Amino acid sequence: MTSSSEASVPAGAASTGTSQSTRLFVRQTSGLVRDLGIPAATGISLASVAVVNTFINFNAGLTDFAKSDMYLPLVAGAVIWLVAMFAYRYLLRAVPRAGGEYVYLSRIVSPVAGSVAGLGIAVVFTYVLSTNAHFAAQFTPFMLSGLGSAFHSTAVANAGTHLTSNIAIAWLSVVVMLIVAALSLFSVRIVARIIFWLIVLQVVAFIVLIGMLAVNSHADFTSALATYSNHPGAYQAIISGAKASGVVFGTSIAAGVAIIPFMVLNYNGVLYSYYVGGELRRPGRTYLYASAISIGVLVVLWIGVWALLRARIGLTFMQAQANLGASSPTAYGKITSLSSVSGGLGYGMILSGDPITKILFATAVPLAEIAVNLAFLTVTTRVLFAQAFDRLLPVGVAKIGERNHAPNVAISIVLVIGIGFCFLTSLVNLGSIVALQSLFFALILLAGGIAATVLPIRRADLIETPGMPNEARKKWLRNVALVGGATTALALFTVYELVAHQSVYGKFQWESILTLVIVLGAGPVIYVIARSVRRQRNALDLDMAMRELPPE
Amino acid sequence: MWRKSKNAKKRELRIYFATDIHGSEVCFRKFLAAARVYEADVIILGGDFAGKAIVPVLTQDGSLRAQVGGEEVTVPEAEWDRLAADIGKKGLYPVRMDAAELDRLAADDGALDRLFRSEIAAQVQRWCDLAAERLDPAVRCIITPGNDDPVDADAVLAAHHRVECPELVLCDLGPVTMASLGVVPTTPWNTERECTEDELAKQIDVMLGRLPDGRPCILNLHCPPYASGLDDAPELDATLKPVIRGGRPSIIPVGSHAVREAIKRHPPVVGLHGHIHESRGAQKIGRTLCVNPGSDYSSGVLRGAVIDLAQDGSCLDFLLTTG
Repeated sequence: MTSSSEASVPAGAASTGTSQSTRLFVRQTSGLVRDLGIPAATGISLASVAVVNTFINFNAGLTDFAKSDMYLPLVAGAVIWLVAMFAYRYLLRAVPRAGGEYVYLSRIVSPVAGSVAGLGIAVVFTYVLSTNAHFAAQFTPFMLSGLGSAFHSTAVANAGTHLTSNIAIAWLSVVVMLIVAALSLFSVRIVARIIFWLIVLQVVAFIVLIGMLAVNSHADFTSALATYSNHPGAYQAIISGAKASGVVFGTSIAAGVAIIPFMVLNYNGVLYSYYVGGELRRPGRTYLYASAISIGVLVVLWIGVWALLRARIGLTFMQAQANLGASSPTAYGKITSLSSVSGGLGYGMILSGDPITKILFATAVPLAEIAVNLAFLTVTTRVLFAQAFDRLLPVGVAKIGERNHAPNVAISIVLVIGIGFCFLTSLVNLGSIVALQSLFFALILLAGGIAATVLPIRRADLIETPGMPNEARKKWLRNVALVGGATTALALFTVYELVAHQSVYGKFQWESILTLVIVLGAGPVIYVIARSVRRQRNALDLDMAMRELPPE
Repeated sequence: MWRKSKNAKKRELRIYFATDIHGSEVCFRKFLAAARVYEADVIILGGDFAGKAIVPVLTQDGSLRAQVGGEEVTVPEAEWDRLAADIGKKGLYPVRMDAAELDRLAADDGALDRLFRSEIAAQVQRWCDLAAERLDPAVRCIITPGNDDPVDADAVLAAHHRVECPELVLCDLGPVTMASLGVVPTTPWNTERECTEDELAKQIDVMLGRLPDGRPCILNLHCPPYASGLDDAPELDATLKPVIRGGRPSIIPVGSHAVREAIKRHPPVVGLHGHIHESRGAQKIGRTLCVNPGSDYSSGVLRGAVIDLAQDGSCLDFLLTTG
């Protein structure tokens, strides 16, 4: 037997290496499975959110609700995800593997409930991939304009004007999808590293923007806007134009509450490292650190940038610009060519004097969308992978490439369907069909909350610690149920707000309801068919794969 | 439409196979529970059941100090059971000792080796007793060693009435016969049960030579066949660090040529393998279904495979499980 007398000190205890009890006596044996540490998991979490996408949600809030301010929604959104973070931690502790809500619901609630979430998530996330690609494509003119300005090239700057047609946007979306697919073929560790560096670029862009807003005054901005727009009174003209259009300025708590769902969606993805739970090193700890770091970074960056935007740009101007740009684009276009939806990046662009920052701002959104799509593709393929492993989908979907150790078949499926969605999104009006997309995401959060709530009731054995005294055990299980219950309540509040403001978050029309029913109902139908076919063939029961072994 | 097909073969035997649990108490309990949860007739633990590390628990002034999950923990002596359970859950052996004993172990390789052997043997004994207590009498429990398991453990397994340890012998499972071998080709770690490919081929041939002609069999060989997709592991340099090529760890097949040849020459119905934790999967080599359920013991996750066999010994279906 090859025992070693070396007293090895694991990395986690390196700082206390002098203490006798920090020693471990180890034998030399092999074995590693879990690849992703805290930096990689944080990368996946932050990429799933896309730091710079907040300007889109700021714009949506300002446009859709009068007297909007973002402080309350930003804080409330963070609190909701912070509570959910603990609920998912318990779920990950109980079932430490890839697949997210599909795995939690199928193991803790029932296989049918799992199949509802599993297929729904796969379909909706694939659609989200295409909308992100579409969004990156829409931002290409802004990017080329910024790059043209940075390199003093009118040819590059004007190139963007030829890329605004629907078919051009569709093909640009496909290019984005192909770039994402090519990068995804690397192993998950390399993908995580690519995502991490794309996130670093975004965060740098954000910090530069914050610095730029901090060192420039309000007067600097009005003057820069005037120069950029070739309109000496552009700032006031936009406010006057909005006032004439009936825009109401100021702030109200009611508007702040109504915007909360936007900010819940803004943070959506911040916990997504649980989707790759099967690949996390020390999953509970890695997930918790990655999620807490991500929430902390986002709260600081977003609230910080909003505070600076209010101080330097002015809330009244931002409300006026967003509303005038949306309601009277022609009137707005006569005052300035600054995109009304570009938000902070647009302000940074006109304040920027050097080419490096212009390049940083110009490329921030397209690179962010590539990072988001890499993270979403990783997440979506893991959900498909989990379902194929359980034989809910054909087992070939779970095949792992021998060279890259990535689920290549699952990636190809998502890519093909995603490209299809890219064309549909660009060429057909899908608005009424996908109107309830926001509601779906809230329902997924609700599913997670419910799974955590029932976890101590249905599968307490999965989270109990051996040797724990009975009283402590009861208290522990009660805490798990309380955190799950709190997440459920907050998710229900979000669902209520979404339903109460249908005109903003998605109307209940027959097309949108039918789509939601199909997305949610496809899983159970496939489950019933697959189970029946397997029974007919005397094959192993589908339920068997979804059984969780009791640890005691 | 959904009626059972008349021509469908009936299941005669259901096997649950897991491997490489490396001392994890949680995984072993899950392994026993798998018999009930997956309705298995036979449960097989295919090697590398021994843990990898001892956690010294220092007794000092009525308290216990130990390293758990990379953090130093101090608890009152009354909480020994809980602390031991926490450490055992991760596949480590908690051993109470004072500072003088700790220093002695650190300086004496032989003493440490003896301690490892006694802890592993004690755990195997406990596990066998637990199997006797928890398993339905109709369920057969087979535990075979792997390269990381000390040979002393075989005697503990062989002596226990509830567990079978058919290492290097044929074992009748009803519709099939199983041949088991935990020895692997030489590894960089120089573990206890290693030999050259030629020696491994001879041992397999001798064992399979005793198999009656035409009798369907299962090969429970700890090492997976070479280049089967069940044996991909990071390439290591002389210092046992992963080799990086093109900015990523170089992954190479590390399975056994002898095992692959044996599967080709005496095609079994199923090949049960382990050894390479990260190479979970199922592959066909000729007519043989080869399975490596992989291992994630350090997270308390038991990876396994459920395999259904028909009366004629053919494989009806299989499922890789994670529980």
